[in-house]
Amino acid sequence: MTNMANTDRAARGRLQMAQALVVAGLILYVPANILPVMTMTVVGDVEPLTVMGGVQELYDSGLWPIAGIVFLASIVVPFCKLACLSWLLLMHGSPRWQRQRGALRRIVHTVGSWSMVDVFLLSILAAVGQLGVLASVQAEPGGLFFAAVLVCTLFASESYNSRLIWQTKDPLSA
Amino acid sequence: MPDRAKISQENSRWISCPECGAACRDQPLPPKAVLRCTRCGVVVKKASGARALQRAWAFSSTGLLLVVLANINPVLTFDVVGNTQSNLIVTGVFGLFDQGYWPIAALVFFAGIAGPALHLASVWYVASACCLGGRWPGRRRVAKIAEVMESWNLVPVYAVATVVAVVKLDMLGTVAWQPGALWVVALSLCSLLTMQFFDRDLVETRLEELA
Repeated sequence: MTNMANTDRAARGRLQMAQALVVAGLILYVPANILPVMTMTVVGDVEPLTVMGGVQELYDSGLWPIAGIVFLASIVVPFCKLACLSWLLLMHGSPRWQRQRGALRRIVHTVGSWSMVDVFLLSILAAVGQLGVLASVQAEPGGLFFAAVLVCTLFASESYNSRLIWQTKDPLSA
Repeated sequence: MPDRAKISQENSRWISCPECGAACRDQPLPPKAVLRCTRCGVVVKKASGARALQRAWAFSSTGLLLVVLANINPVLTFDVVGNTQSNLIVTGVFGLFDQGYWPIAALVFFAGIAGPALHLASVWYVASACCLGGRWPGRRRVAKIAEVMESWNLVPVYAVATVVAVVKLDMLGTVAWQPGALWVVALSLCSLLTMQFFDRDLVETRLEELA
């Protein structure tokens, strides 16, 4: 019986951890998209770029397949991830759609890491730093928020594992 | 007494679903067949070829070599009116660190360098132990690490990011691919194949045989 109680407490801890991380992620999502991620200076032309601005720039220069990848990986995926995780957490304990919820959690977990494209991209570009007087790339606080959203969602989907989806109040089905 | 023996034999033919924890009845599988959980529908056991672990061993060994090559060779060079810079993976980490963004630098270091290395090294250790039949110390714990680190091996994502970066840098100056890029691509392929062949169920069975 004590063993049961222990696993129950561990499960509740995992659930609360996931809830806290998703709420934090939702809050951080706002500054991550409003604040510029980096400033690129090309021949005296200073331009601060937000995540969306970077996509826009790629699209404008006619590289729409690459713009599409970046748009998917850094705007659609983080948002869908937060939305899906919120839904999964709201549905916790319900016996409905458990198979679908399990499948959704697996997809979120696999696809989620692709948002790292933007963080890696920032790192490669920031390596340029101040190169001569003509070009410089400077990282901006937006990148910090973006990385934080990513880490929150990664750990949330790790913490809310699928056993919790199958945990219902009815002891017979557990 | 005979009853008890029968029960334990019965018990040994149930396996716990890795996804939802339901008890599934184990059964011998014909080649290429899979056993699915009756509750959540996830593959509980698959009849992967007996050589799967050998392949994981081979690809992780190659991968470890490629980790070194990908990290000591520049991935690309960037040039703006005579100022040339060659970029390694770790250059980006230092760049972010110098600009004061050490949390992002740490994340890039972990997911781009340390994660893949640790993932491949732990797979290599477990696969070697399984293939050579050695009772190597801590193999169970290392198998756990291999499983956790799998989602932190983000080299394939890094390879895509490099392509995007080249496009962006092309707007600033002249950018050229270097041999390191080839190693990064090879490393991401090796990582994906290692994940494909490192079968959790096969490892567990093998480790139980060894114990």
